[in-house]
Amino acid sequence: MTQYAFAFDVTRCSGCMACVVACQDQNDLDAIDVVAFRHVTTSETGAYPSARIDHFSLACQHCGDAPCVVACPTAAIRRRGQDNVVVVDRDLCVGCHTCQLTCPFGAPTFPEDGRMAKCDLCHTRREHGMKPACVLVCPSGALDVGPIEELSARKAKEASLKILKSIVASSSGDV
Amino acid sequence: MRHGRLLILGNGGAALSAARAARASGHLGEIHLASDVEGPAFNPMLAPYFLKGALPWERCFPFGAAFYDAFGITCHLGAEAERLDTRNREVTLASGERISYDRCLVATGAGPIVPPVPGLKASKRAFFLRTAASVRQLEEAIPKARSALVLGASFVGLKVAEILTRRQIRVTLLDCADQVLPGGAHGLLAAAIQALFERHGVEVRLRCAMEGVEGAGNGVVCHFRDGKIEAADLVVVCTGVKPNIGFLDPMQVRTDEAVLVDERLETSVQGLYAAGDACQGINIISGKHEWLATWENACLQGRVAGRNMAGESACYPGSLPQNIGLFFEWTYAHLGDVRGDVKGDVRGDVRTQGHSVLHRFFGSPSEGRFLVLALSGDILVGANLINCAHLAGGLRRAIRERWRWEGPARDGLTLEGIEKALRRGMDDFRSRPGTRAPTDAFTVMTFSGKRSARHGQRDQGQ
Repeated sequence: MTQYAFAFDVTRCSGCMACVVACQDQNDLDAIDVVAFRHVTTSETGAYPSARIDHFSLACQHCGDAPCVVACPTAAIRRRGQDNVVVVDRDLCVGCHTCQLTCPFGAPTFPEDGRMAKCDLCHTRREHGMKPACVLVCPSGALDVGPIEELSARKAKEASLKILKSIVASSSGDV
Repeated sequence: MRHGRLLILGNGGAALSAARAARASGHLGEIHLASDVEGPAFNPMLAPYFLKGALPWERCFPFGAAFYDAFGITCHLGAEAERLDTRNREVTLASGERISYDRCLVATGAGPIVPPVPGLKASKRAFFLRTAASVRQLEEAIPKARSALVLGASFVGLKVAEILTRRQIRVTLLDCADQVLPGGAHGLLAAAIQALFERHGVEVRLRCAMEGVEGAGNGVVCHFRDGKIEAADLVVVCTGVKPNIGFLDPMQVRTDEAVLVDERLETSVQGLYAAGDACQGINIISGKHEWLATWENACLQGRVAGRNMAGESACYPGSLPQNIGLFFEWTYAHLGDVRGDVKGDVRGDVRTQGHSVLHRFFGSPSEGRFLVLALSGDILVGANLINCAHLAGGLRRAIRERWRWEGPARDGLTLEGIEKALRRGMDDFRSRPGTRAPTDAFTVMTFSGKRSARHGQRDQGQ
């Protein structure tokens, strides 16, 4: 069965937070609320002259073997048949926070009603032929979505081209 | 073993997860399930949420009634296992029925511990919150009650105290330990939670032992060691659970607190597996066999056992002591070994040898956020969280994978810094080659009170 997922290219992310705002807008989340389905974190490593800043945009990973699905005591969290995306039935959630304990990515959030809410990979948008809001607005193309095999193949192709270009560039330099 | 007969003893999360996993692994033979619990599998973890009114009764059975037919399970319900003969591969039920098997899973769960208080077990006003029937009985008794005693300031005990308070019942919470949550909370954090309950009108009595219970009309009269006598409409016993393994012969199957299993969840007897609250698997932190009863562990262990019973070779990496939940307006979580105990308070003051636990504190209860981290050397071994539940998953991963917390990061980190580090993949925690510490580094020893006090001086606040 096809597994849909996000792809994230850390070398392209500028940390502009457009994805976070688009997600909040799409899901009607209060902009000043701490609840957000996507987070951008900045990492500063090293020291001058080799200092480096990376930005990470992170939401639910829709894990292949999602620990939250196993741990949920009411079976409120399940995998959708069509695309294997992990979704939550908020009517079944009792707000026990067990999913929050099991998720290593901090994806489950708890709005004021106390029931879990998280990224559903914008399945309603995708069913209507649109990309998830965060992917659509990303100005640098750091985020992408699709079947995981396609994403992996695309990554592999990009990496191969990059290596090929560097080989070509170095051989031209030699000449 | 695609065509053999699998026998599953028990009717809970571990048992049904095993049946589902066996079918998913291609098991085509018979699956028999035997349990004294009739009807669909009940999740005892949901009992407080039902009593709170957050969940209708029918949703306390997450697998549903149709599960058994859907997975081709032959049920033998209403009679508990009385004897398991590993030599002849046969189980005798209390009804006299005998069931032979090729591979068997012990997933009989756990039952409530009844404290040795005269009159308690026989009292009709004493409730032991574990089975579906006991939860219904308590639900029926609550509307008529005005006062209640909750025995045991455990995680469940605190939840029950909260629910009864919210339902306009005057609650007294008792424990013979010197703090609430004696199994998993740091003393400072426990004191904050105790104060929270007292602010909501719960009377908390610690170091308090009950000596006897007598019936008195619709209520009970309780006698305490200090001579006090108190009347209550009901007593809810939350003093813990113990595995239901009385039917096993210790001469045939190796047991300790529960059934000992290897990484494949196989017992000392080939073809006999154990999972869930009936089994004693590996604690990731200590590297030792420990009894850690949670719903998640039960389901994961059941899944691994089911695969192996179906002929696959799956391993369970081990468990971690953990719990999370709401107490009034606070979210509380504990992970791993915060107190420095290897086995909670089961064996008294037990600590990791040569690895004194250093505590780091972030925030404070008055700020509304409080985090306690416990480090053994430079390895994070435990955490207590109040209102920082969003960090719980990342910290659990750090503990499970034994991330190292090195010098500058350890000394300068703030609550916000930890949150950032967890989100960006733990740049401040460097992964140590080999995810499990050698077992001998965590040899258990008994600590003297004097050394324990010195240990306490190593705590550092922030």
